[in-house]
Amino acid sequence: MEQPPPITAVRVWDRPWVVVPVFVLIAAVGGLFDSFTSSANLLVLGVGGVMMWLGLTGRAGRRPVPRALPRSTLWWLVPLLLLALVELFTFTMHSYENYPTLSLLADPLLESYAARSATYFLWLLGFWGLIRR
Amino acid sequence: MSRIIVIGLFILVAVLLGVVAWFARREESKIPSLGEVAGFVMQYEVGRVPVGRVAVLGFWWWAGWHFFAR
Repeated sequence: MEQPPPITAVRVWDRPWVVVPVFVLIAAVGGLFDSFTSSANLLVLGVGGVMMWLGLTGRAGRRPVPRALPRSTLWWLVPLLLLALVELFTFTMHSYENYPTLSLLADPLLESYAARSATYFLWLLGFWGLIRR
Repeated sequence: MSRIIVIGLFILVAVLLGVVAWFARREESKIPSLGEVAGFVMQYEVGRVPVGRVAVLGFWWWAGWHFFAR
């Protein structure tokens, strides 16, 4: 596989003052679209597709990655496994009222434009953080 | 009642994530950051296929689609 450029070889667009305003703009537009609409699907699939392409081709600079992880990494498994178990349990119960999944609980919160746009922005930031790893 | 317990468990998850993240950010911490863990997982390849990278980025893409478009 082609080696990604080192983090020092940043491109002009690969800087916070370029990326953050672009993300703000995308989030501002994304917040306008309700779930289950073609616009929402097209935007998420389009933006996600570009991010995947950037992440897989190594066009964005990458940070150094540890060669091994210490045993203390297992602490991360505590919340992550609990989240997975609760999600799995609520999903299999098929009771939206009594056993809501995380996304069902998030739906009413994401109905407001401000919350939806802010969450969209955080999703984009997370994506950016991941493709630079 | 079960709804309150479920919501409580999700809040507990958020608190635990915050606590572990806080410990990971302390100086001299032996706990790696979640970003470092993700970076390590993304190194995993099968042959020339970057399986770990596809899985982690694909999961994040799916999460966005699930919350914003589904």
